[in-house]
Amino acid sequence: MARRSGGRGCSLGSRAVQAAFLIVLVVLWYLATTRWRVNPLLLPNPVAVLRELGDILRSGEFVDDLRITLTELAIAFALATAGGIVTGYVISRAAYLIRVFEPLFAGIYSIPIILFLPLYVLFFGLGPASKIALGATIGFFPIVLNTIAGFGYVERMLIVAARAMGASDYQLFRYVLLPAALPVILTGLRMGFTVVLLSIIGSETIASLAGLGHRIVHLAEGMDMARMFAYIAFVVVIAVVLNMIVSTLEARGKRQ
Amino acid sequence: MTGGALDIKRILLRHPGVARLGVIVFLFIAWEIAARWFVDPMFLSPPSRVVASLHRVWQTPGVPAALHITLWELGIAFVLSVIIGLAVGLAVGLQPFARRSTMPIILLLYGTPQITILPLFILYFGIGPASKIAFGVSHGIFPIIVTIVAGVQNLKPILLVSARSMGASRWHVLRYVVFPHMIPSFFAGMRLAMTGVLLGVLLAELYVSTAGIGHFTTLFTQAFDPTKLLGLVAILAAMAIVLNEVVRRAEVKFSRWHMN
Amino acid sequence: MTDDIAIRVRGVSHHFGEAGETRHVRALLDTSLDVVRGELLCLIGPSGCGKSTLLNVMGGLLEPTTGNVEIGGKPVRGPMPHDIAFVFQDNALFPWNTVFENVMLGMLFQGVAKAEREVRARRALEAVGLAGFTEHYPGQLSGGMRQRAALARALSLETGILLMDEPFGALDEQTRMILGEDLSVLLARAEKTIVFVTHSLGEAVFLADRVAVFSARPGTVKQVISVNEPHPRKPEFATSAKFTALRNQLYALLHDEIRKAVSQTTPATAQADGAA
Repeated sequence: MARRSGGRGCSLGSRAVQAAFLIVLVVLWYLATTRWRVNPLLLPNPVAVLRELGDILRSGEFVDDLRITLTELAIAFALATAGGIVTGYVISRAAYLIRVFEPLFAGIYSIPIILFLPLYVLFFGLGPASKIALGATIGFFPIVLNTIAGFGYVERMLIVAARAMGASDYQLFRYVLLPAALPVILTGLRMGFTVVLLSIIGSETIASLAGLGHRIVHLAEGMDMARMFAYIAFVVVIAVVLNMIVSTLEARGKRQ
Repeated sequence: MTGGALDIKRILLRHPGVARLGVIVFLFIAWEIAARWFVDPMFLSPPSRVVASLHRVWQTPGVPAALHITLWELGIAFVLSVIIGLAVGLAVGLQPFARRSTMPIILLLYGTPQITILPLFILYFGIGPASKIAFGVSHGIFPIIVTIVAGVQNLKPILLVSARSMGASRWHVLRYVVFPHMIPSFFAGMRLAMTGVLLGVLLAELYVSTAGIGHFTTLFTQAFDPTKLLGLVAILAAMAIVLNEVVRRAEVKFSRWHMN
Repeated sequence: MTDDIAIRVRGVSHHFGEAGETRHVRALLDTSLDVVRGELLCLIGPSGCGKSTLLNVMGGLLEPTTGNVEIGGKPVRGPMPHDIAFVFQDNALFPWNTVFENVMLGMLFQGVAKAEREVRARRALEAVGLAGFTEHYPGQLSGGMRQRAALARALSLETGILLMDEPFGALDEQTRMILGEDLSVLLARAEKTIVFVTHSLGEAVFLADRVAVFSARPGTVKQVISVNEPHPRKPEFATSAKFTALRNQLYALLHDEIRKAVSQTTPATAQADGAA
């Protein structure tokens, strides 16, 4: 039972398993639709999906929906960021305010706010406004919470030292508070972005007349499986790419 | 007069909870005023009317049953998430090779926006409770798997060495070292899983529902009945808060040694 | 006379990693040692000299690349919970169990009958002075008290041999002094064979019957010094001329080795130092 020291990390082996997983998945998919006669209304042929995807990209059919979704995303995120950072900064200025508001925000954020979608649809209609409003609402919370955490918990000694050296309010903010809080705030922005994106796609799926989420639903209702799969892949790729961009920006911002 | 004002201020300052309550009350009052005098009653209803009409929401045929069904969907989805998540989490976490190879796949799946395949879930599982449960489970298993794997990983190796040196068998190590160590992670995972399950089930319900709560949210929305809709949403929100609180309390209770 | 030798170490060498890799570290080189039954032997040496490695080899937690260890005539092939108990620097108490539960658990692993466990646990905790803290969690105790608890756990196992790897290393000097004195009192009664790894010269002289001084990496026993002073050691011993002379002797032996060890520390080998 005595242990021999040493032992090599099997990263090659684990990579092989991951590659095998993907390959097996694709192979099974192909076989399921061609050899095993799975109902094409349930699972479309992967070749057909690729063909549809190519068609979508070439014809540019996706452009309108993509534009709507991205616009909603941009506006909602901008609103959430502006509201979240300003509110967060103001609250962070007093420990008392933090004690009052932080649990409140954390508490509200703990329930799925998308639950309020029907209210927003009732109020704003089925158009982009309801998606933007809901997205901004949901995105607000991680941003404000992280902003409070960032500005509110700057190491006391740093502030004391700066004041002792005669820093003005503005200098304190620019040279001490902002750089100290930045990493946490950036994380909050990244989380906010992810959450707004999910919210937009979600609300487009559930109650909308346009946008990428709606497009997928539309194809599902028409049982156009291959094209729907193609759009799902398209949206997932876009989401992944957007999230990667945002994560990279977050990391870049933190390095400085 | 000044004495009274100072007293209130002192109470507020010493008890942020009271101030918080004050903020909430203030928001409700603002809502009341806006809904009564500034907004078209077709779009927004004041809280006084919402509360007064709650019983009408309850009496709408099908609503109590729908709430019941939704609760069942949440419960079953949660339990399934825990069982599956625990099984996968332990299988992956306890075996270093399994962890190194499958965790990237699991994290990849955890990170994809599942909402895009909600229509697929409906197509596969139908418009009944099964699809809601399935979508809930697919949101709930990942936090559990991830937290359990992380929990197993941050077990200090010295504890395992110490147990071995005292003659512990493999079973002893699992039962007395690995399992107790994992309980805080497990409960943290369950807390996140409850959030995920709530999200998954409610999203699916809002998307399409014949007998569940989503049916009535759609109904009240299309009928432009903000009073009943707000009442229903309030009930759902309360349900979500209670469920979250239950899991959170359980986490605190079982992780007492951890918090010390 | 084999009866007198509790632990027999013969020609133990050990290296970590494979030759040619950056991780390759030769921790021990051809080390031989006899631990007399009933004595307290200290292993002292510069960082990375392999004393902790040797301890792990003695206790069956590590299989050496060459050489062997015999305990009471039996070759060591793995942990021997009935013969050897450990006390680690990082006390390795289970944080989710109370002090009492921790001690009980050790005996459960060893296989002690249920009826006897509680008796032994109370006795051991009493002996280390923790009788009033049995229901506390390790997180609620100070570092010194945690190590007492770890010691109680080891004592309750009633093994003939106790291996202690820098048990007081994480504690402040004042706590170390007190614990050292208490340990000496305890062991005067207990009749155990103890191997004790330490960095502290004063601790080694105060506690040990013999001190084995290690060279820098790759470690081997440079010299063994005897401390002829009966147990339990009185606090006055620490200020006596004999103590100072012995301590100076150790310092002289160690100083060059320590310098050598410090110059050995490069980023690649620094990690392996933790293993030794």
